[in-house]
Amino acid sequence: MPAASPEAPSAEAIGLIQRLKLPAPSDTAYAETRFVHVLRKPLQLRGELHYGGAGVLGKRVDDPYRETTKIANGEVEVQREGKAARTFSLERAPELQVMLASFSALLGGNADSLAAQFAIAMTRHDAGWQLTLTPRAPEIARHLRDLVVDGRDAEVRCVTLHESDGDASVMRLSALATTSLPEVTPAAIANVCRGSAAH
Amino acid sequence: MQLMPMRILIVAIWLILTAALAFVVQRTLVVSSDLRSFMPPPKTADQQLLLDQIGEGPASRLLLLEIDSKTASGERLAAISHDLAKSLASDARFVRVLNGEGDLAALDPKLLPYRFLLSPTLDDAHFDVAYLRDQLQQRIEDLASPAASLLKPFLARDPTGEILVLAQRWTPARTPRMCAGVWCNTNGDVLLLVETRAAAFDPAAQAAAIATLRESYAKLPGASDATLVVSGPGYFSVLAATTTRAEAEWLSGLGTAGFVLLLLVAYRSGMLLLLAAMPIVSGALAGVAATSLVFGPIHGITLAFGFTLLGVAQEYPIRLFSHRRAGASAQESLRGVWPLLRLAIASACIAYLAFFASGVPGLQQLATFTIVGLLVAGAATRWLLPSVMPAHFRDVADARWLERFRLWLDQLPRLRWVPWLLLAISLAMLIGAPTPLWQNDLSALTPVPPDLLKREGELRAALGAPDVRYLLVFEAPTADAVLALSEKITAQADAWVAHGSVDDVELPSRYLPSLATQLARQAKLPDRKTLGAALDEAQRDTEFEPELFMPFLDDVDAARTLAPLTPKAFAASPIGGRLSAMLAERNGRWLGIATLSGVHDAQALETIATTTSGAVRLLDLKSASESLVASYRARIGAALLVALVLLSLAVAVAFRDAARAWHVIAPMSLATLLALALLRICGVSLSLFHLVALTLAAGLGLHYALFFERRVDAVDEARRTLHATIVCVLSAVLVFGLLATSSVPVLRAIGATVALGVAFHFCLSTIMARNSQARQKELADHVEAVP
Repeated sequence: MPAASPEAPSAEAIGLIQRLKLPAPSDTAYAETRFVHVLRKPLQLRGELHYGGAGVLGKRVDDPYRETTKIANGEVEVQREGKAARTFSLERAPELQVMLASFSALLGGNADSLAAQFAIAMTRHDAGWQLTLTPRAPEIARHLRDLVVDGRDAEVRCVTLHESDGDASVMRLSALATTSLPEVTPAAIANVCRGSAAH
Repeated sequence: MQLMPMRILIVAIWLILTAALAFVVQRTLVVSSDLRSFMPPPKTADQQLLLDQIGEGPASRLLLLEIDSKTASGERLAAISHDLAKSLASDARFVRVLNGEGDLAALDPKLLPYRFLLSPTLDDAHFDVAYLRDQLQQRIEDLASPAASLLKPFLARDPTGEILVLAQRWTPARTPRMCAGVWCNTNGDVLLLVETRAAAFDPAAQAAAIATLRESYAKLPGASDATLVVSGPGYFSVLAATTTRAEAEWLSGLGTAGFVLLLLVAYRSGMLLLLAAMPIVSGALAGVAATSLVFGPIHGITLAFGFTLLGVAQEYPIRLFSHRRAGASAQESLRGVWPLLRLAIASACIAYLAFFASGVPGLQQLATFTIVGLLVAGAATRWLLPSVMPAHFRDVADARWLERFRLWLDQLPRLRWVPWLLLAISLAMLIGAPTPLWQNDLSALTPVPPDLLKREGELRAALGAPDVRYLLVFEAPTADAVLALSEKITAQADAWVAHGSVDDVELPSRYLPSLATQLARQAKLPDRKTLGAALDEAQRDTEFEPELFMPFLDDVDAARTLAPLTPKAFAASPIGGRLSAMLAERNGRWLGIATLSGVHDAQALETIATTTSGAVRLLDLKSASESLVASYRARIGAALLVALVLLSLAVAVAFRDAARAWHVIAPMSLATLLALALLRICGVSLSLFHLVALTLAAGLGLHYALFFERRVDAVDEARRTLHATIVCVLSAVLVFGLLATSSVPVLRAIGATVALGVAFHFCLSTIMARNSQARQKELADHVEAVP
C-alpha cells in the first residue's frame, strides 16, 4: 500500500505536469532505445504513440518489426505481424497497470494521480526541465527504479524508464524521434534528451 | 395410608433412574445435522456422486464473502481482505481462502521441467531451427514491450514461453475484477471465496465455520468501518436451521404452556400435571437412548420429529386420568381401557414401522426413536402411573357441561350418507388440485429469502464461481482414462463456450494431460546435442548473449527422461488441488468431474451423453436429487399403505370383528384423505414432512375412533371417553395450530397438517364410530325385541 506522501511535489512541478496535458486523441512519433542485459546490443525501435484519453493508450512499432499494442478498459491487445492478436487483462499484472496508469496520468496532466504513486522531484536547467518520478509502492519499486521525464517548456522530449535490474528504456518523442544518435549509450542519449549536446 | 410411602418410593426410584439415564444419554448423545441422512442410501455411482457433490462438492462448500464500506478506501478494504485471508488460511475449518492475491495459475517451480509435457505446444510444433528462431524473435519483441519486466525473469529458462502458455491455460475464463491487488466487484467492494471443510448441508459445522469467520473478521483492524456479507449454500443451510429452530422453540414453548393450562383446567390438579409428564419423559429418554445405541449419532431432525411423533403418547396418561372412576382404584379403572390403549399403541408402532421400511437412515432413526418411545410411554402408563396416582381425585364424569355436550352429540342426526359425500368431495378436491402433487424440491420447505438468493447469484457471477447445479461427469476404468476422455471432448467444450451455451468448462485435462499425451509430447523433445545445435543456429542472427539459454537446454534434457506426471504426483503442487477435486474413485472405477460456470443452455450440453455413448454426462444435481427424493417418497408412500393394511388387520384381529374394525379404520382413513384433499385444494404440494404429519394425525385419529367405537353401556363411562378425547383433541389442535402459524414452510406444513387432520379425525370419529355404536345398540335392541 502506498504510504501517505512524505514529500508532496512542489507547486512548480504540479503546474508543469498540468501544462503537459495533451489533447485527446494525440499521436506522437517516437524512437526508443532499450538497454537489456541479456542482449549484446541495445534494441532500437521506431513508431508512433497514441493517447486516447484516460486509460486509452497505444504503441505502434514500425521498425525493425511491426507490432501494435492497444490498451483500453484494462485490456491489453497485442497484434504482431502474421500472428493472431493476443489479449490479456492488466488485472493480472498490477505492476504494469500502475506503470501504464502513470503514463496515462502524465499525458493527461493529472498531477494528483501521479503524486499518489510517485515521489516527484523537479530540476531546471538552461535548456529545459527534468522530472524524476520514484515509485512509492515497494511492489512497483521491485521492477521500476524510476521514471525520468525530460522536456522543454510544455513539451515532453524524452521518457526514460530505469528498471531495478539495471536495464533501461529511453523513448525520444516528436522532434527528437527523428534525430540520429551520435552514440548508442545511456549517457549520450541522456545528453540528447537534456538538449545540451549537439542540439 | 400404607400406599403413601410406596407412591413416594416409586416416584423417587423413577426420578433416580430417569436422571441416571438422562445423564448417560446427555454424555453420549451426538447430534448430527447433515441433511443427507434424510436422503436414501445411494445405489449407483451416480447417486453416490450426487450425494457427495450436494454436500461436499467444491462448488457447494464455497462461502462467498463481500466486504463493503461507504467510508473505507479501496486500499483499506484490500488490506482487510488480505488480513482476513491470512487469518483464515491457518484455520483448520477452511480448505482454502481465495481473494485474488498470489498467482494460482503458476506451475510449481519443482515441476518446471514438466511444462513441455503439460503444455499443448509440442502437439503441433517441433523444437527445430525455424520454430526456435520465431520464438526468439518473439522474445525480443517481448523485451521491447511494456510487459518486458514481467517476462524477463523467465527468459533464459523458458525462451519458448511455455510457462506463460500454462498460466493462460490455467487461468479461469472469468476472473473477478481486481482493485488494489485483490478481487472486487464493480462497486469496489472486495470479494473473497472461502472453501469450508464442512459439508454445505451440515448446518452445525457450517455455523461453526461462519462464526469463526465473523470472529476473525471482527478482530481485524478497521473491520468496524466495513460490513462483511456472507453468502453461499452453507450459509443458507445455517440460516434455515436457525430460523426453523427459533420459530419451533418459540411456538412449542407457547404450545406447551397452553397444554399445561389445558390439563390444569381439565383435571384441577397440579400433581396429575406432574405425573402426566412421566410416560412421555420416560418414552423420550428411552427413545433417544435406543436410537443412540443402534445408530450412534442421532440426527437433529430425528430428535425434532421424534418428539413431535411422540406427541401421541401424551394421550396415554390423559386416557388414564379421564377414565378414573369413583369407587375403583386407578389400576381397576385402567383395566377397562387398557385393551384399547394397547391396541392403539400397537397400531401406532405398526404405522411408524413404515418409516423403517423406507431405507432412509434418518427415517429409520425416527422409527426406532418413536416406536421405543411409544412402547416405553405405554408401559409407564400401564404399570407405573396407576400406582403413583393420588388417592383423591375428581371424577370427570361429574362435570355437567360434559353431560350436556354428550346429549347434544347424541341427539345430532345420524347422517349415514355424510361420509360418502365427504369421500366424493375429497376425491373431487384431490383431482381438481391446482398444483403438482409432490414438492420434490426439499429446499422449498426452508426457503432462502429471494433478496439473499439474488445477492448470492450476483456474487457468484462476480467471482466466476462454478455453477452449483450442473456438472459434467466422466466415467472410466482408470484416472488416466478419465483424463483421456476429457481430452477427447475438449474440442466439443470449446465449441460450447464459443456458442455461448456455457461460459467456461473446467476440464480435468486442462490441468493434467493423459499419460499417452504426455509421452507423445516427451517423444518430440530433441536430445541435448540436436537442440543445442538448433538453438545456436536460431540464435545466430539475434543479439541474445551466447550461453544465455543453458537453463532451457537443462530443462529439456531433464524433461526427456521424466516419468509422466500422474494425478497423485500432481496433487502435491498448488494447482494440483484443483485436479484432485475433479477425480474420484468409486467401486474400482474412476469418475471425473468438470465444473461448469454460467450454464446458459443445459440442453446443448446434454447431447454429449449421446455422442460419447454415456461415458460423459451432464449431471443436473437439482433434478437428480429431486428424482432421488421422489423415488424414496414413493417408497414411503407404499410403506404407509402397507402399514394401513397391517393396522387394519391388527384392529380386526383384536376385535375379532371386521365390521367393528371397519368403523375404526374408515373414519381414520377418510379424515386423512380429507386433510390431504384440503391441503391440496389450497395449493399445497406434498413433501416428506406432510407424510410424517399425516401419519401422526392418523395415529391420534385412531385413538379417537377406537375410544368412540368402544361400546359402553354406562353413560358416565361414555362421558369419560368424551372428556379424554376432548382434552386430547384440544391439546393437539392447540399445539399444532400454533405451529401452523409459523413463517417457516416446514413447520407450517407439519402444524397445519396435524391440526387439520386431528379436527377431521375428531369430527368423523364422532359421526362414524358413534354410528357404529348406535347401530350396535339398535341391533341389540332388535335382538332383544324379537323373541
